[in-house]
Amino acid sequence: MPSELTLTVNGAKQVVSTAPETPLIFVLRNELKLSGPRLGCGMAQCGSCSVLLDGEEVRTCITPVSYAVGKQVTTIEGLPAVWAVEKKLSAADAAKTLHPVQQAWIDEQVPQCGYCQSGMMITAVELLAKNPNPTIAQIKDAFTNKPPSPHLCRCGTYAAIIDAVQRAAKAMKA
Amino acid sequence: MTLKTETSSDSQIMPFTATLARRGFVKMGGALFVSFALPAGFRAQTAESPASLQTNELNPTLLGSWLEIRSDNTILMRTGRTETGTGMSGYYTQVIAEELSVRPETISLIMGDTDKTPDGGYSAGFLSGMANVRKVAAYTYQALLGLAATQLGVPVENLSVLDGVVFCGGKNISYGQLVQGQQLDLKIPVTGEFAKAAPGNWVGVVGLDGLTVTGNPPMKPLNQCKVMGTSFPVPGIPDKVTGKTQWSCDVTLPGMLHARMIRPATLGSTLISVGAVDKKQFPTAEIVKKGNLVAVVSPDEWEAISASRAVAAGTKWTDWAGLPGSENVTKTLRAYKWNAPPASRGKPADVTAALAKATKKISASYEQPYVRHAPIGPFVAVADVRRNGSATVWTHSAQSQGLRARIAYMLATTPEQVVVRWLDHSGQYGRTTFGGDGAESDAVILSQLTGKPVRVQWTLQEDMMWSSVSPAWVSDVQAGLDANGRVIALRSSFYSPHMMDPRPIGAVLAGMPCSASEPGGWVATEWVYDRIQNRLEDVYGMPNLGAETASGGLRGNIMRTPGQRQQNFALEGLINEAAAAANMDPIQFRLDHTTDERLINILKATAKAAGWEPRSSPRSQARKTGTTPVNGRGVSVMLRENAYWVGIAEITVVPDTGVIDVSRFIIGGEPGKIINPRQFGLCMKSGVVMGLSEALKEEVTFDKSKVTSTNWDRYKILTMEEMPEIKIVSLSRDDKNFGGGSEGANAVCPPAVTAAFFDATGIQARRIPLTPGYVTTLLKS
Repeated sequence: MPSELTLTVNGAKQVVSTAPETPLIFVLRNELKLSGPRLGCGMAQCGSCSVLLDGEEVRTCITPVSYAVGKQVTTIEGLPAVWAVEKKLSAADAAKTLHPVQQAWIDEQVPQCGYCQSGMMITAVELLAKNPNPTIAQIKDAFTNKPPSPHLCRCGTYAAIIDAVQRAAKAMKA
Repeated sequence: MTLKTETSSDSQIMPFTATLARRGFVKMGGALFVSFALPAGFRAQTAESPASLQTNELNPTLLGSWLEIRSDNTILMRTGRTETGTGMSGYYTQVIAEELSVRPETISLIMGDTDKTPDGGYSAGFLSGMANVRKVAAYTYQALLGLAATQLGVPVENLSVLDGVVFCGGKNISYGQLVQGQQLDLKIPVTGEFAKAAPGNWVGVVGLDGLTVTGNPPMKPLNQCKVMGTSFPVPGIPDKVTGKTQWSCDVTLPGMLHARMIRPATLGSTLISVGAVDKKQFPTAEIVKKGNLVAVVSPDEWEAISASRAVAAGTKWTDWAGLPGSENVTKTLRAYKWNAPPASRGKPADVTAALAKATKKISASYEQPYVRHAPIGPFVAVADVRRNGSATVWTHSAQSQGLRARIAYMLATTPEQVVVRWLDHSGQYGRTTFGGDGAESDAVILSQLTGKPVRVQWTLQEDMMWSSVSPAWVSDVQAGLDANGRVIALRSSFYSPHMMDPRPIGAVLAGMPCSASEPGGWVATEWVYDRIQNRLEDVYGMPNLGAETASGGLRGNIMRTPGQRQQNFALEGLINEAAAAANMDPIQFRLDHTTDERLINILKATAKAAGWEPRSSPRSQARKTGTTPVNGRGVSVMLRENAYWVGIAEITVVPDTGVIDVSRFIIGGEPGKIINPRQFGLCMKSGVVMGLSEALKEEVTFDKSKVTSTNWDRYKILTMEEMPEIKIVSLSRDDKNFGGGSEGANAVCPPAVTAAFFDATGIQARRIPLTPGYVTTLLKS
């Protein structure tokens, strides 16, 4: 049965009426019209639906919406604001500044089809928060061995992702 | 005003004709619209010729013109071809910018919508698409020069153009100013036809190439390009990174229902009875069915998912067990009674005679399993079929016009009644190149039955089980060597199930009309060893495995670098075996068998980048036992679509565990003129990832009833950690036109890896994937 739940998504309070067991992805996409997280496997095997929940990457295809209540949900749409807060940017600067991870994804021309890249960027943000200076081996490890599954890219953009993470790491230290 | 110009290109006088007319004056804005003149003999106003064609002929100012030069100095290009993920949108933009002498950023593209784009055509057919847009822009450039000459009162020859501004002496005028206040109409010559269903043809649809621009307008010499050859960014990337892209999965319509399909229990099952919806639990869910097509629809996606699971559990299907099991594919192909090869190339008698004379003969059989496209995002589509029978479909198909033809055929209506709108989505890797195989027919059928717009989202399991597959291959190859170790004859026979069956599964299961194709085959390899004179290549075809079932069985389809990927695996394997038999270095051996300067250049450049030291395989330290790694290296080459490829794999094998680690891969590519060097490099690297994935991991498995590799734990693809260091070598040249550079890199990987395996172990691996299980079995045998 639907119930009213209050979520905090990209810094804004949102009240949704939905069954509490509904996977978070369907609420983000269908109720809140956020297209960043995208449905891939639906069973936490690929990472295309990832968002940050209080800074931790979660797979929204298996996370009940009720689990997100009381936590900060961040999708790629909310990354620029996260960076603006972190760097205490003025409103004017914030409006024209992307998160360094996003900027690096553009500068390195990472996306091909781009379907998995939202989850890739979310994982990059999480990684760089914990390890601001990752080696190639650490980047590979973070995108491959962190539960519940590797982040998969069928276009094969892994090399560009590694370059972009390193570029973002530099930009975030600057 | 009529523009008739003669120009010189490639030292030949080639006349071209285009007409420019002023339709009228306008108060605001102004534009030059480029559309096409009907080719002589084009069948006008038939049931098959889409209304848009007529519209374009009669009124090119309607949506449907190819290119628009606007008074605000912006440019709009419309093409039925689409962005497949490899950067097409960027390449097209750069080509247009080059010919028009404008900045690429001033050009926007509308791609793939059948009601907004005039030309049709393959998204996969980059070379023909690029030739088209280049000529469209070139004709337009000449028209703009003509306008400028008149305006400025100077001869055309005295004009120069920079960033959309025409200069002559101290005078200048922008393109925008040239069209200001006017409605100009440029017609350019084309030939071709639009897609329509053609049952029994090789893919079931004709006209997939769409329109082709004819004539020879003067074009910028490739050695004087300013925009092509420069790494401009690909247009759609910022929106994909910030979440602004509207993907095909994002389409929502008023009153739209979400659907989840309930598929048969096996590939051959037919429906006995449908389970029930518990209305207390799922108040707004409904079952919809037609033939063997069953779905649950609901305004709420989660309800559709939950209810479909419950209904599926109570749905009964007949049993079926008509597949051989994936472990028996080779045996099954061997047992099949093949008819004469539908495609053949070479000289049978000469090859037989030469093989008889050979001092050394090699005979080998190579095998490849069923593999699949396996995008990260499963198929999704939205359809709205209205009461009057017209339909609109939102999709990421790589062939909008072909899909439109298939949907129209299914609905027994004309293509004019169907509109296909294209949006970004997960890569297709060839599976929709022929306009079929996806959720689109499901969505259309469900919308027709419910009278509402319907969004069909496939699950991963469904996609892995019910989308089309790239079929298994068996190849028999033979080479004869003379006393000097030169190959004097080469014979290859390729056997595989149907790989051109893109029938949409919804239509197949619902028992609606499908434009089916005939099993066949084609000789895909482009021959680079011109010093091997005697060769024979035969390709044999058979129906799908399980073809007789209501679902069509394992529907075969093309997949990235089709044909060459399979045929080169065996042929390059054979060349490596021949080099070993001749005790020759495999790169020198290749150089000895070709005079093709382009292959020689890229092969040498790639070998140099790899630090390749000449020696024969296997290496002297090769071994097939032990718990410590042994190294190996291998090479393969390919020519495809005017692009030359070289792959060098460096691997380690631990014989006792069968674990292979590709430590480094060096990929060389020479696709004629490189339009965007950075994007070419990215495509080479990503292609290597896909190719190594196939070499090491991928196999569609099935039992006697159904596909069993239904998720990412069972259909494994390469992960980031498994990716080796990839080194790229690219050569661009201005004298060989353009080649297909976006795909191809994947296909050189498997033969390079199997060659490296032989180098390391002394054992030939003639089957992929090289999984630890297969490798240990192979090394123990």
